[in-house]
Amino acid sequence: MRVLGWIYLALAYGFIFLPVGALVLFSFQDGRLPVPPFNGPTVKWYADVLGDRDLMAALVNSLMVAAASSAVALVLGFLAAQGLARVALPGSVVMRGLLIAPMTVSYLIIALGLLSAFNHIGLRPSLMAAGIGHVVINLPLCFAILFAAMGAHQQNAERAARDLGASELRVLWHVSAPMLRPALLAAFFLSFTFSWDEFIIAFLLTRFDVTLPVEIWSMLRSGLSPATNAIGSLVFLVSVALLVVLEFTVFRKVRK
Amino acid sequence: MSKTRFPLRAALAGTAAVVTLAAPAMAAEELNALIWCDHADADLLKPFEDAHDVRVNTKEYEGTAAGLAILDQSQPGDWDVMVIDAVDVGRAVERGVFAPLDPAEFPMGDYFPELTLDSHNSVDGTTYAVTEKFGYNTIAFNKAKVDEADMEDMGSLWSGKYDGKIAIYDYYLPVMGLVGLSQGVATKDLSAANLETLRDPLYKLKAASRQVSDVVASQTALATGEVDVLIGGGEWLTAVLHSENPDLDWTIPKQGALLWAQSIAVLKDSQNPDLAKEFVKYIVSPEGQARLATSSCYWGMPVNKKAGEVLDDSQKAVLRWDQQADYLSRAQLYPVPDADLDAEMQSMWTDMLQQ
Amino acid sequence: MSIEQAERRRASALVAPALLWTLAFFVLPFAGMVWLSLGHLEGREVVAGPGPENYVRIFTDPSFLKGIRVSLEITLVVTVISVVLAWPLAWIIAMRVPQRWQRLALMLAVLPFWTSYVVRSYSWALVLGANGVVMQALIGAGIIDEPVQIMATRTATVIGFVHFFVMLLTLTIYSNLVQLSPNYARAAADLGASGWQVIRLVILPLTLPGVMTGAFLTFVLCIGDYITPQILGGNNELTLPQLIMLQLGRRGDFPMASALSVVLMALVTLAYAASARWLKMDRV
Repeated sequence: MRVLGWIYLALAYGFIFLPVGALVLFSFQDGRLPVPPFNGPTVKWYADVLGDRDLMAALVNSLMVAAASSAVALVLGFLAAQGLARVALPGSVVMRGLLIAPMTVSYLIIALGLLSAFNHIGLRPSLMAAGIGHVVINLPLCFAILFAAMGAHQQNAERAARDLGASELRVLWHVSAPMLRPALLAAFFLSFTFSWDEFIIAFLLTRFDVTLPVEIWSMLRSGLSPATNAIGSLVFLVSVALLVVLEFTVFRKVRK
Repeated sequence: MSKTRFPLRAALAGTAAVVTLAAPAMAAEELNALIWCDHADADLLKPFEDAHDVRVNTKEYEGTAAGLAILDQSQPGDWDVMVIDAVDVGRAVERGVFAPLDPAEFPMGDYFPELTLDSHNSVDGTTYAVTEKFGYNTIAFNKAKVDEADMEDMGSLWSGKYDGKIAIYDYYLPVMGLVGLSQGVATKDLSAANLETLRDPLYKLKAASRQVSDVVASQTALATGEVDVLIGGGEWLTAVLHSENPDLDWTIPKQGALLWAQSIAVLKDSQNPDLAKEFVKYIVSPEGQARLATSSCYWGMPVNKKAGEVLDDSQKAVLRWDQQADYLSRAQLYPVPDADLDAEMQSMWTDMLQQ
Repeated sequence: MSIEQAERRRASALVAPALLWTLAFFVLPFAGMVWLSLGHLEGREVVAGPGPENYVRIFTDPSFLKGIRVSLEITLVVTVISVVLAWPLAWIIAMRVPQRWQRLALMLAVLPFWTSYVVRSYSWALVLGANGVVMQALIGAGIIDEPVQIMATRTATVIGFVHFFVMLLTLTIYSNLVQLSPNYARAAADLGASGWQVIRLVILPLTLPGVMTGAFLTFVLCIGDYITPQILGGNNELTLPQLIMLQLGRRGDFPMASALSVVLMALVTLAYAASARWLKMDRV
């Protein structure tokens, strides 16, 4: 039983890492075909990728969209969770349902709805449009995480601060936010990850300036080349490095 | 307290720093081009951008309907130039989106005569577009795996000999055109009346094939030996793989093949019509033509014969420069369906995919 | 004004921005899409509705009906396989892996999450191809003589999906498992239950909410995904999202794309209704 468990674990890791391993290995493929046989290592695809103006611009765009949309989703979600956790408002069940609703809808539908709506009002496809879409998908996430994290303990502290004469903004900033720090961090980074990797909304709502997944998609459609593997591996390595840094700095402190 | 703000602020500050570092030097002007993927190649755009101190923004589209839909959704003046299927120039002119061009400003005298395509690029005697690149949708194959003689007859694909070794290129117009040729229907004769005769052979073709795929998936399948034959393929698909696998080849079978030709036009509402026209001039110049012909997305024959002086011999060999006279005589232009026929063709294509 | 009223007003002001955002960029666009779906494309022009043309076509045209069936079949198979594979993995990490390694073990199990989604599907195409790593290894090991076709079939699509959702579900089931008090298992063991009985009769039922929430998320994300079937399925059958993108990309037929999206939405709503009693969406 015990041995079976370890075997299962090993097999599961094998399955989970199989495509990533192949991806990284063949990003060093010498030749145009990223499939076996492996012709020996080269880093020329990495040089290609790093020298690609559009790809690097897309990477920056993705960072901007992810940071901005996560920040907006976080603020909106935080305020809403504060409001709904504080008092029983009439219709608060409905409001909660409405705020969560986008989570139960396919991204494609959200994208299509926004595309026709933006067309209708004459807003051109842009990074801004994609960012608005990303706030829509990340707001429920931020709200749910923060709402679940709020408790009586923190409400008491807020009430005490208000009784002492602190303004609403000061209470939110100096009392609520610090007490919810782990949840805020989790919500922000989760949103950031979702936005960073989101394809279909960004694909339908951007035009010239596109995000990284969209740029990778058009790379993937325009020619067979291990450069696709190289950019995939780069994204992976950078994300993992970031994750490790966060794990040892921000989150470690939070857990204490 | 300050720790609280750290991640958000750091993330934003970090982003700002990256933006500042990575933002390229801004060019003085911008040109917005609605294009096919071969025009997105930096090697093609760079000489023009440098010469005119302009940044060329590109947006790719597939299929004329989608391209026209993008125009519909844009504000007037959003676009400066557009690449479009030569046979569909009329559709765009009908909507009044293109500006007239003076053919005298372009090197029409250096064109392959079959490719000036006046009947398609002009309406009522006014020219609205110029052809820029062409090639064939035909049969591409791996000559190490198939009998080359079989490839001279399209009927081989239905013979059972290559079942499970065929890929279909995922674009309904050329492939349905080819299936039509196999049934003795010329592309210009394709109509609602005889469209149904294609259904059965199309379904049988699907049954005999392994996949219906876009450019890269088709290239992958052909190059890795998953399939041996690709219907709808041609030099535009095999040329970039030539150095990897010289066995990848293409031919025009006895039933004929489809000639694809792309045109480029200046938009009527362009904010910068002079620069747009300069771009078109660059694209049809020998230098631009050679770069376009060997663009990283796909290769294709230049329409301007003078590009032959810029291309090297091996490139010309891959493009079959010397055989064009024969090929052109045996190829037909794409079908030009009206809206209803187009809808029926697409619907039949979807039905075929769902078989 | 009473203190309570003031409190309520403040609370309403806090909720308002998020609600307005959701109304403006989610509810309204969705309503607009429903309206658009009642129009139809005639020739190359959109004719405004309301009329049932698109829906009639969706439910009579065999190709569209098959799209609905294919989407449902793939999504159900993927959801079931992913749960079945992820549960033991989460359990082993939560119960067998020593405490100090647990966080690392979990992070490893979800690490490929951080490769780009598009690239991840594509790398499965390379792995599963006739010349890919899997086939070559199987041939090398003498298990098969020549490559079996997996790439460009539904199997490839399912494998690609399962890979993603096993990671997701391992995460949700694990967080559910570690919240369980060990006392339940201990009590059951004291009452004479075997190790297997403890898992089946005590732990499994207790993780049901976590499993159902994860399964529902899997359903939503899977049935709405375009990339994975497009890259791995070889266009041998089309799912609903592929049909939607085909209407958009090739034809510019917004009304039909909208109608198909409404149908997609209806399927998700049905799945929600079926699993609602176990779901705690606001506690994900």
